[in-house]
Parts: sequence; structure tokens; C-alpha cells
Amino acid sequence: MKENNTKKEFLVPSDLSQVQRVSLGALSFLKPLALNEAILFDIRLCLDEALINAMKYGNQLKKELKVRLSIEYDQKEIRMLVEDRGAGFDPKKIKNCTTGENVLRGHGRGLHLIHQLMDEVRYNPKGNAILMVKSLKKSLL
Amino acid sequence: MQVKAIQIEEVTIFLVDGEINISTSPDLRKLFEKQAAKKVVVNLEKVVYIDSSGLATLVEMLKKMKSQGGSLGLSGMSEKVKSLFEITKLDKLFSIFASQEEAVTQVK
Repeated sequence: MKENNTKKEFLVPSDLSQVQRVSLGALSFLKPLALNEAILFDIRLCLDEALINAMKYGNQLKKELKVRLSIEYDQKEIRMLVEDRGAGFDPKKIKNCTTGENVLRGHGRGLHLIHQLMDEVRYNPKGNAILMVKSLKKSLL
Repeated sequence: MQVKAIQIEEVTIFLVDGEINISTSPDLRKLFEKQAAKKVVVNLEKVVYIDSSGLATLVEMLKKMKSQGGSLGLSGMSEKVKSLFEITKLDKLFSIFASQEEAVTQVK
């Protein structure tokens, strides 16, 4: 992806200690949009969750395997793509963390939060990349 | 994140300041395990950010308390943090209070 003032790419080793640095770097890139605190919170949380999942489950925390974060925006929306080097997963097989005994589980809420806080979420066919879209028209209201 | 434990009568209050995230949630868990308290309030007034690992840590704390016949309440969370509990239906699981005082009274 070409970088210009509305597109940026990060390549980060699969090291959980890097997550905050990358997501805060992404927020810094979005500064020209002057988004409110609530929206910035949502974007940062979704980035953190996607990066953690990519590092932990996609790349198995192997530091030599990188996670790619591509972020771009236009007048309509912010698009964030997080891609790992793993075999991928089937999002339909993820259990709903809000039903029955699943509420008590020690993990599994990250994807649910992403789906609730983003306006659109898509996966590539392999299942090793997640695209998260936040509409700017809704965000600026 | 900074976390410290104080005692009000028989209730242990964990005062959390900062973010409960993938890097810091283990510190909260360690202090909780070290205190081994029976009645707990986690004061979230100064928590500005929490991720799913932070939520998971609080769930594990609650499960441990329940298994030991103890009680745990959360207090002072911001509207944003509360919305995450609602999204994940954890607001139905936890006892959530507006103030530490109210939480301590109910947890005793």
C-alpha cells in the first residue's frame, strides 16, 4: 500500500509489548480528523484487540513473524486492516461470548467488541486478515 | 497502571489507576491473589481504558470469589467502561455500583 498523508502502514513483530505503541501511533496518524474521545477509545480498543489476536493466535507470538496494520481514511470512513502470517480461522466458529456459560469464559470477547464497536467488519477468505471500518459521518455526530 | 489495596472494615478495596490492558492486567491479578480477601471492591474511578484481557481478569477474580463464598463489587466506572460491560453482557454478571461507599455497604 502506498503511504501518503491519508494512508499508513505498520509492520510489527508479534510481541504483545508492542501493541500499545502501534495503536497509539495509529491514533496519532488519525489526529487530522479531530475525532472525539469516545470514538478514539473505540478505534484504539478495536486495534488493540485485532493486533493481540493476530500476534497471539495468528502468529503464535513468534516475534520473527510480523503483523501488518494498514490504516487509511477518506471523507467517508476509516479503514483498518490487520493481517497475520497464520493459517487463518473461520469466524463463524467463534462462540458467542454473551450467551449462557460463555459469559464466564476467561477469553473470547475481543472479536465481539470489534463487531459491536466498528460499523463494518470483514475477513479475507483465508481468515488471517480482518478489515475494520468506522464511518466518519456517524463518528463526527 | 497503579493498583493498591486498602482495607475498610472487612472489605478490601483495590484502587486501580490507569489502564487495565494486556500488559497491566497481570499486575491486578497478582495483587488480588496476594491479598486473598473474602470481600472485595474494585474501584474503577481512575480507570481510563480497559481491554478484553482486563475484562477477563475481572471475570476470573469474580469466579474465584464466588467459588470461595466471597463477594466482589465494582465501583465508579466511567460511562465508556460501563458500555463495554453492557456490550459483553458482563453487567448482568457483576454487581456494579456508582460509588465506592455504596459498593462497600453492599459487599459487606
